[in-house]
Amino acid sequence: MTSLRRPASRRGGPLGHEGRWALVFLAPTLIGLAVLSAGPILATLAISVTSWDLLTAPKFVGLDNFLKLASDDRFLKALRNTIFYTVASVPVGMAIALGLAMALNQAIRGISFIRTAYFLPVVTSTIAIALVWQWIYSSDAGLLNQAIGFFGIPAQRWLSDPVLVMPAIVAMSIWQGLGINVIIFLAGLQAIPTELLDAASVDGAGRWARTRSVTLPLLTPSIFFTGILSLIGSFQVFDQIYVLARPKPTEATITIVYFIYENGFKFFKMGYATAASWILFIIVAALTAVYFWSQDRWVHYQ
Amino acid sequence: MNSEGMRGGISRRLLALGAIAAMIVSACGSTTTPATGTPAASIAPTSAASAPSTAPSAAPSDAGYTGPEATISYSIWGDPAEIKSQQAVVDAFHAANPKITVKPTVSDWDTYWEKLKGSIAGGAAPDVFAMDGPLFPDFQSRDVLLDLKPYIDKDGYDLGQLADAAVADFTTSDGQYGLPRDLNVVTLYYNKKLLDAAGIPYPDATWDWAKLVEVGKQLTKDTNGDGKTDQWGLYTETSDMENYWSSLVWQNGGDIMAPDGKTTVLGTDQAAGGIQFLQDLIWKDKIVPDPALFAETGDAFEQGKAAMEINGSWLVPTHEAAGIDLGIAPLPKGPAGLATSINPTGAVVFKGSRNPEAAWAFVKYLASPAAQTKLMELRASLPANKEVLAGPYANSFEGAKILADSLAYAHIKPSFKGYEEFATLLQAELDANVFLAPNKTAKEALASVLPKLNTLLAEQ
Repeated sequence: MTSLRRPASRRGGPLGHEGRWALVFLAPTLIGLAVLSAGPILATLAISVTSWDLLTAPKFVGLDNFLKLASDDRFLKALRNTIFYTVASVPVGMAIALGLAMALNQAIRGISFIRTAYFLPVVTSTIAIALVWQWIYSSDAGLLNQAIGFFGIPAQRWLSDPVLVMPAIVAMSIWQGLGINVIIFLAGLQAIPTELLDAASVDGAGRWARTRSVTLPLLTPSIFFTGILSLIGSFQVFDQIYVLARPKPTEATITIVYFIYENGFKFFKMGYATAASWILFIIVAALTAVYFWSQDRWVHYQ
Repeated sequence: MNSEGMRGGISRRLLALGAIAAMIVSACGSTTTPATGTPAASIAPTSAASAPSTAPSAAPSDAGYTGPEATISYSIWGDPAEIKSQQAVVDAFHAANPKITVKPTVSDWDTYWEKLKGSIAGGAAPDVFAMDGPLFPDFQSRDVLLDLKPYIDKDGYDLGQLADAAVADFTTSDGQYGLPRDLNVVTLYYNKKLLDAAGIPYPDATWDWAKLVEVGKQLTKDTNGDGKTDQWGLYTETSDMENYWSSLVWQNGGDIMAPDGKTTVLGTDQAAGGIQFLQDLIWKDKIVPDPALFAETGDAFEQGKAAMEINGSWLVPTHEAAGIDLGIAPLPKGPAGLATSINPTGAVVFKGSRNPEAAWAFVKYLASPAAQTKLMELRASLPANKEVLAGPYANSFEGAKILADSLAYAHIKPSFKGYEEFATLLQAELDANVFLAPNKTAKEALASVLPKLNTLLAEQ
């Protein structure tokens, strides 16, 4: 970088020589963002106020799509299911991941093998995972039904019972997403200075007190980070529903992103679908804003 | 083959991916074939010789293309076996029309429609693509398909050589927007071994609903005495009207759509009675398994856990491959007599195609006896060409004639603008409250969903 050799006095604001170079180096990302993200996002805003079937010219309909969504039974069910999925999967998934990370944060033989094992589902395709879980959940001689049959519990229709199906999908999703949270928590745990823990011990803190007063507070940045990722990810849940809720999602399993997909690509209602995706965007943005606002109260940076 | 329910299996999806990879490899390979010195002309007589009886009628339509050299794209959905058979047809077409090169692409069912809509919106759709009967009006009404009527008139092409109901599915008041490529009907399959073991005579055209229930009960067994059924009398799929319940509605004297296709007539007692019969088979007579039971593991008949199955003719090859000692019979008749469902797949031409002449030549070829004879070898569907249907196909395997003859009393699968959303909303109600759990009678469920469906139809 030639600019590094320039005298400090010539470094300036964004229009300075260095600023221009910065723009040049940032250009690939900026152009990519503008063309591939910002452009389509703005386009969907325009599409959301039209009636558009993809094949013929869009017709302007104002806020009709949004008003219709408010009274669309199927959309409201999708919203309800998505919220259930989020509320059930995010806290439980994070709690299990935290516990596992603490258990895996030890120097014992073969620990890296065990850590890898927990990470495997993250890098496995959802299709392959769903195939295995279909076996587990199968009503006819499935693994889970055999296991509970051992305790005298009658066989359940895990993926067809409207009450059981969402928890069943949540369980698979938690298992699948565990590895990524475990890795982030492990990194957080290993960044905690041992002298702080030692000092706490010297002050007479037991194992539980050390965890509560030293480890957990110092882990809050990691918890904050995994929380936001899990929250956003779970509002966008699609793959698990698409592959596990066969032949197609019912009113008990349809989620917002599936609703968007179905309307846009199957029902010739791209305008309606983009309106639904804007509602999703607003919900996720609002929750993220609240979540960021709350971090002053509970996240401790060292 | 058509509905999502029957082609939605994940294993099929994976197979389709493998098949796409295979297609890419074979497509790369095929471009080198002419260069290695096999003159195209030497292939032509061979392919003609393989269907000598069809040569005279094939000749005029094959000789039709006189335009410049052209490359056209051809998109289909399908599984590996279908792709192979389509490739054979494409190769034979090129041999007969060396000036036209056809580039096929394949996708699984869901991806196919997403890609198709996207490419039409972008003006870069394939020249020729496969079209499912029920979805045809959604495309035709949006003016993206080429009217083939002028080409048909110019060539003096005789539509009468193709199955009438299948042709009609692609006809509108002002034109002909596709030719049928193949078609499927719904039929009764039975496992000869299981019927023999129970000493039950094979089903035939005399069977009615009562007989189906009677025999179904005899064949539903708890073989190991654990209180759970191990062998079911009958297996069927409830998640799409085509697999069985639309036929029951017709057999009961009801219908799904009013003749003008603008309102649904599912509110009648006859229509509800047909759907009620299926609910009773599952929850009252208990000869059909609860649909949840095999939702994950698939076809109970194929696993030897059901003695009979009512489903589409597309299952013949998979049933045979599963080693079932297969018998085929007409659907048992209802109070209003015999009825089954027919659903054609057509070949249509994109309105924006730059080579409509070449595309028409290929569409015409797909419906020709030469191509139809090749396509029918798979047994995955019935040929649309009457001559091939009545002759080579009807004699090609045991039961094929029963499938071919059932066209005489078949009803076309409903086909109208907005079909997919209509079917999704209707099926969501029926699945949740009629088939997966008997929360409501068919009549109650229909009454609750019909207003929504008619609103939807009025919006189209």
